[in-house]
Amino acid sequence: MVAETNNLGYTDIHEDVVRSIVKTGPKYYIALATAGGTTLLCFFFPWFYQLYYGIGAAGMNHPGVWGTYLASFIFWIGLSHSGTLLSCVLHLTNSSWRKAMYRSAEAMTLFSLVVAATYVMVHVGRPWFIHWALPYPNQMELWPNFRSPLMFDVMAITTYITGSTIFIYMGSIPDFAAVRDRTSGWRNTMYTLLSLGWRGTDKEWHRLHWAYTFLAVLIIPLAVSVHSIVSWDFAMSIVPALHQTIFAPYFVVGAIYSGTAGIVTVMFVLRKYMGFERYITKLHFDNLGKLLLVLSLLWTYINAVELFTSWYSGTSEEYEAVGFKLFGFYAPLYWEMILFCAVAPLLMFSTRFRTSFMPMLILSIVINIGMYTERFLIIATSLPRQYLPDAWGVYVPSAVEVSIMVGSFALFTTLFLVFVKIFPSVSMYEVKETMATPKLGSVAPASGSPA
Amino acid sequence: MSLFSRFMDGWRKYRKPGYYDEFDYHWTMAIDLDKCTGCQACMTACQAENNIPIVGEEELARGREIQWIRVERYWEGEYPNAKLSFIPIMCQHCDSAPCETVCPVSATYHNQDGLNTQIYNRCIGTRSCAVYCPYEVRYFNYYDHHWDSPLEQQLNPDVTVRGKGVMEKCTFCIQRIREAKDHAKDDGRRRVQDGEVQPACVQTCPSKALVFGDRKDSENEVSVAINDPRKYRVLDELNTDSSVFYLKKVDA
Amino acid sequence: MPNIDRRDFLKLVGAGGVSVGAGFMLREANKDATEYLIPHVVAPEDFSSGLATWYNSVCSMCPAGCGISVRTREGLAKKIEGNPAHPVNQGGLCSLGQAGLQVLYNPDRLTGPLKQTSARGSGSFEQITWDEGLDQLGSRLDLLRAARRGNRVAMLTQGVRGHLAQLFDNFMRQLGSQRLLHYDFNHPHTLYAANQRFFGQDRLPYYDLHNTRMLLSFGADYLTNWISPVHHSLGFGESRQGSSNERGRFIQIEPRMSASGAAADEWLAAKPGTEGILALALANHIVSEGNYAGADRADWAVALTDYTPAKAAEQTGIPQSTITRLADSFIDIQPSLAIGGGAAANHSNGVDTLMAVNVLNYLAGNIGQEGGLLLNPEPTSVVSQQQQASYSTLLEFAEAARQGEIDVLILNGSNPVFTLPQASEFREALASIPLVVSLSSFLDETTAMADLILPSHTYLESWGDDFPEPGMGFPVGAVSQPVVSPLYNTRATGDIILALARQMNVGTALPWENMEECIKDGWRQIYERGDAQTLAQGFDSFWTSVLRAGVWGETAAGDSEFTLDRSVISNIGVQAPEFSGSEEDFPFILHPYLSPNFYDGRGANLPWMQERPDPMTSVVYGSWVEMNPSTAKELDLIEGDLVDIQSLHGTVRAPVYLYPAIMPNVVAMPIGQGHQEFGRYAKDRGVNPIEILSPEIEPITGQLASSATRVNIVPTGRRSKLVKTSGTSRDLGREIVQFADVNGVELSSAGSNSIPITEVTA
Ligand code: SF4
Ligand code: SF4
Ligand code: SF4
Ligand code: SF4
Ligand code: SF4
Repeated sequence: MVAETNNLGYTDIHEDVVRSIVKTGPKYYIALATAGGTTLLCFFFPWFYQLYYGIGAAGMNHPGVWGTYLASFIFWIGLSHSGTLLSCVLHLTNSSWRKAMYRSAEAMTLFSLVVAATYVMVHVGRPWFIHWALPYPNQMELWPNFRSPLMFDVMAITTYITGSTIFIYMGSIPDFAAVRDRTSGWRNTMYTLLSLGWRGTDKEWHRLHWAYTFLAVLIIPLAVSVHSIVSWDFAMSIVPALHQTIFAPYFVVGAIYSGTAGIVTVMFVLRKYMGFERYITKLHFDNLGKLLLVLSLLWTYINAVELFTSWYSGTSEEYEAVGFKLFGFYAPLYWEMILFCAVAPLLMFSTRFRTSFMPMLILSIVINIGMYTERFLIIATSLPRQYLPDAWGVYVPSAVEVSIMVGSFALFTTLFLVFVKIFPSVSMYEVKETMATPKLGSVAPASGSPA
Repeated sequence: MSLFSRFMDGWRKYRKPGYYDEFDYHWTMAIDLDKCTGCQACMTACQAENNIPIVGEEELARGREIQWIRVERYWEGEYPNAKLSFIPIMCQHCDSAPCETVCPVSATYHNQDGLNTQIYNRCIGTRSCAVYCPYEVRYFNYYDHHWDSPLEQQLNPDVTVRGKGVMEKCTFCIQRIREAKDHAKDDGRRRVQDGEVQPACVQTCPSKALVFGDRKDSENEVSVAINDPRKYRVLDELNTDSSVFYLKKVDA
Repeated sequence: MPNIDRRDFLKLVGAGGVSVGAGFMLREANKDATEYLIPHVVAPEDFSSGLATWYNSVCSMCPAGCGISVRTREGLAKKIEGNPAHPVNQGGLCSLGQAGLQVLYNPDRLTGPLKQTSARGSGSFEQITWDEGLDQLGSRLDLLRAARRGNRVAMLTQGVRGHLAQLFDNFMRQLGSQRLLHYDFNHPHTLYAANQRFFGQDRLPYYDLHNTRMLLSFGADYLTNWISPVHHSLGFGESRQGSSNERGRFIQIEPRMSASGAAADEWLAAKPGTEGILALALANHIVSEGNYAGADRADWAVALTDYTPAKAAEQTGIPQSTITRLADSFIDIQPSLAIGGGAAANHSNGVDTLMAVNVLNYLAGNIGQEGGLLLNPEPTSVVSQQQQASYSTLLEFAEAARQGEIDVLILNGSNPVFTLPQASEFREALASIPLVVSLSSFLDETTAMADLILPSHTYLESWGDDFPEPGMGFPVGAVSQPVVSPLYNTRATGDIILALARQMNVGTALPWENMEECIKDGWRQIYERGDAQTLAQGFDSFWTSVLRAGVWGETAAGDSEFTLDRSVISNIGVQAPEFSGSEEDFPFILHPYLSPNFYDGRGANLPWMQERPDPMTSVVYGSWVEMNPSTAKELDLIEGDLVDIQSLHGTVRAPVYLYPAIMPNVVAMPIGQGHQEFGRYAKDRGVNPIEILSPEIEPITGQLASSATRVNIVPTGRRSKLVKTSGTSRDLGREIVQFADVNGVELSSAGSNSIPITEVTA
């Protein structure tokens, strides 16, 4: 089915993947140390400083009370989107090319969500009381406010994290078992626990497929709802330029868009540095490129619609908001965003472009820079200029904010680096499903093989 | 009551930010823009009464001012026909307050007096209420404030000093309302009388542009004021149902 | 069981104890100041925990003399409010009045007597005791007095009134010195002089804004700093939407829109210094239209011939049609009132200008009329009014100092080094005085030059009294009492003077133990002049009731009939103003105005006031220079560009603010910032435009013609961030401030619960 994997045997797959887990070269450690160090230095240190000093360490002010923290939050939530969501969609539509990449895509979802959730803590003024936003019985008889879109958010994200965790974990059980059988010592103990006694019986395979499909169906609407709800943090307000009905689809499309671009980036890295050239191929880039192209067109369309309705409203508030976005203080960033998210992706009309690894990598990063800008602009151009012009202001991020933003990428990378050493980052059994029936003699042990 | 109508009743109340069908008192402010001179005595009075910190020049340059009431200024026309109008803006104590619905922990909520209250202890500092408030009267404590000794001796013991990470705003001088209620109770009276509560800004206003009181009694001075044909509410089109009424400036 | 013997155990306990103790002290030392809200362990007798006590007193932040009520809790002052019973402010207070608490609790207060230890102005002081300080000064004074050289002692005080003023008088007389100078930068000498010439009275009349239907203000920023701003604001509110049936109309004539200009229905910019000519043109029109029918009509016609509207239109820049319209409405709308002050009164023709304003009131029949101008009766009980020294008098004093005629200078609150132009060379003159003593509570610019500082209490810690000027149509007095016990090792000004008197062995002439006694004694005399009913209650109960009410008023005296001396008429006339500097070299007229927040600079050390946005521009914490947007465009300047403002006498540097309501050839700067001393909040912030003023004077009064300086604007090519709270001060059609058409508006009486201007009795 997939051309390049045809000349592979089942054993090759096992060897490649297990090697990626067990064999750790100095490069990995250097990478981990760099990422971990950067996380500490750029993320946790400034954050602790901010905890001590107060949110004033960031650049937020009156009326620009929200800033990059929330922009980053949406960005990471957005990035989380394509992993699990895409995986589910492709699973349900039986797209076999998905199989080599979905594991790392799902991991991306999970870690993006973790980073996003951490951002919530970074964003609020008193994170030590963040548990008050959770509904738990307490002696103060206090209860969170379920009318608040922020509470919808808490609920939606918690559910999404739970769902995604189960989804990725369930899909990994057979592979854990496969690794279990090829490792010894503490790894063996760990994978024994992780594989939950998987033996690879027909019954187990059947149940796994059934449950997997069921979860896939469940997670799709959940993912859509999560980003709709994130958009409502803004759209449910009456801030000009935020109070827009189109925000939910806009955010969902944006999320999938940046998430898909994120997958391209991650796949490039895996392919190149984990030695998965044989599993992640041009085909994957081609297909993802087509998807990205469609999403970019959708994104452009929604942006145009948003501008048009604001302009058409003719009210001073909306009009000023659009004017400020297009030609105000942050106009250079706006046009950068348009260039990166609407113009540059048009390159993907070319098949050659889509099947070239490096250009696709660059484009995927460019798209995500654009998408980060989009999130930033949503906040930075609207809040400081609302109804009462005398109260207008300007919001400029501080060094602490920028550092934390950089640090959050390091945090993500760190988490991912740890992941690749624990999870088989390519789904072995599903890749095998796509291969020609093996010749006798190269049959892999039963526990890890498809029935 | 049938289960269904009980449910619908609950739903209606749930949708209504204040939950209340009827308030005990309905504290209201009337601001006569034809009288306001923009002198900002109200701002200083509020700062003194409510332990509002000063933030310093650097923080002000970063837009971190804290002013529970601020006097906005709007110019019209150009020289020599330039005109300047002032408008004091404080929390409008909206009966349909967007800030209340968005607060995830109900740190800001409506009380039975029609006040938009702010519970500093409960606030976790999401600042979403400030985003949702169209009047931009919510101010955030970006850090712990400091009083150069002995300035702290002036602090009003009836008002909390807010720490970093919490939101604050005009309370309609709730401590004064409380005191008046206590007095009313001590006197064996049931209700606070008109004129008994004067928020700090109202008390000091040199031109008497501000009137405060309970609008439940139509005889009260504030009720008379807000029935003036000149009355309007700022951003009324947003349906915040605010409790601060403005009387239009007269164009002569 | 670990091997610890008894000695180790004891060592450990000892070390542990010390560490715990040290830790505890460290913690205490690091405690947030706010944890000491209730610092008293042993409570003073006059407080009960949790209950507020209110003391009535008098605001001393400006000369208006508003009545205050101070709320105290646990012996600490918590809030100043207006005393509703005081007829001047009737409960209201201005921003600066509200901030008085920060005078009391200011971290930069002087906490005890100090002696300068090295060169003057070096800022190195050492603490001394009161006895040392009083001895040093007292013995010097005594020697001079004994040698009949008392006139070599001078006292320069901010304007004080009431019994403290009397005490100063008395003290200086005992000393044999005529050199008692009251000096305030903002004292309206020209207004006093014009009224003296017109009405033959040394008192200011009462301007009845409450009842006027038409106010014509020539430069007087009556809502911010002209005479009694809170009282005028009350009147403004009342006239606008009061109980009466017609909404008052307010017209403001000034080159740069002030707060009163913003409040007005019509703002007009006449060329600076031509306001008097404009007033006379109005008068000319009134007379020539036959709208004045007095017996002296012919005299007026002659006196005003030169001031035709046509001619005035040319001189003032106000269209002729506007002049005639104003003149007509001034007659048609009754009662009307014309007032003058501010920049209009601070030109070389200041007195004449204000005379011209009086002419308008005279011709329109506003004198003695409700809603017009009421002449204050001669006060029967009010103690000595201060005699304010003019700029010329201070120059004379400085010259005397330079000639070595002054041995001792006692400063009280006055800060001439800050409020006099550099051209006066006052600071230099101080160097020729062997002993400079300051009684200030703060280390202001002048106090920094003192050899000896005997710091006085703030007004919230001392006894005093005040008799506001102008009166309310009847004499009013208010007692100022300490609302908290003194914070520091300071003394009341009066007590210092009394102590010095004892040192000088003239105690018999000033027999009081302390200021409280002096005040009480003074009020006993007021009581004794009272009517039978007052006398019947006995002094103690009279005194208690005065203290409780905080204010006392005498029965209104009957209206004094006014007739104008004919000789006045022939002397009416306004010359063109004179400016220092040529128009070519200095194309702009500098319009310095008192900052609404800092008054004459005395409020600059209050953090609340520093952080209070300027009402018109919303600028905080700094200085700026206002110019017309068209001017800025010509000079290629935008907001925040730093420019040098150069006069013949100096240069200051400030960022540009584009002010939509200022004449193109005028630039305006607020007074109040630019302190070189005066505590952490004021020091090195902004610039002081007084520095560069030309020493031009108004010849009749000797007042500084502070609006008569021409300047040049030189861009520096540098920028500074103008810190302001306002975003965009245009409403972009959003109808945030809404307007009602004047026709068809019913007047609201809401909020007009102010007490009528009648007598108040304790
Ligand atoms: S105190 Fe009164 S007049 Fe002054 S700004 Fe406030 S509302 Fe306006
Ligand atoms: S004015 Fe703003 S803060 Fe006040 S109640 Fe309304 S929405 Fe809430
Ligand atoms: S800042 Fe405080 S009051 Fe405002 S929404 Fe967040 S938790 Fe609620
Ligand atoms: S009502 Fe009280 S809290 Fe609100 S603005 Fe006035 S003084 Fe401040
Ligand atoms: S006008 Fe203001 S500063 Fe002056 S006495 Fe009155 S309250 Fe005090």
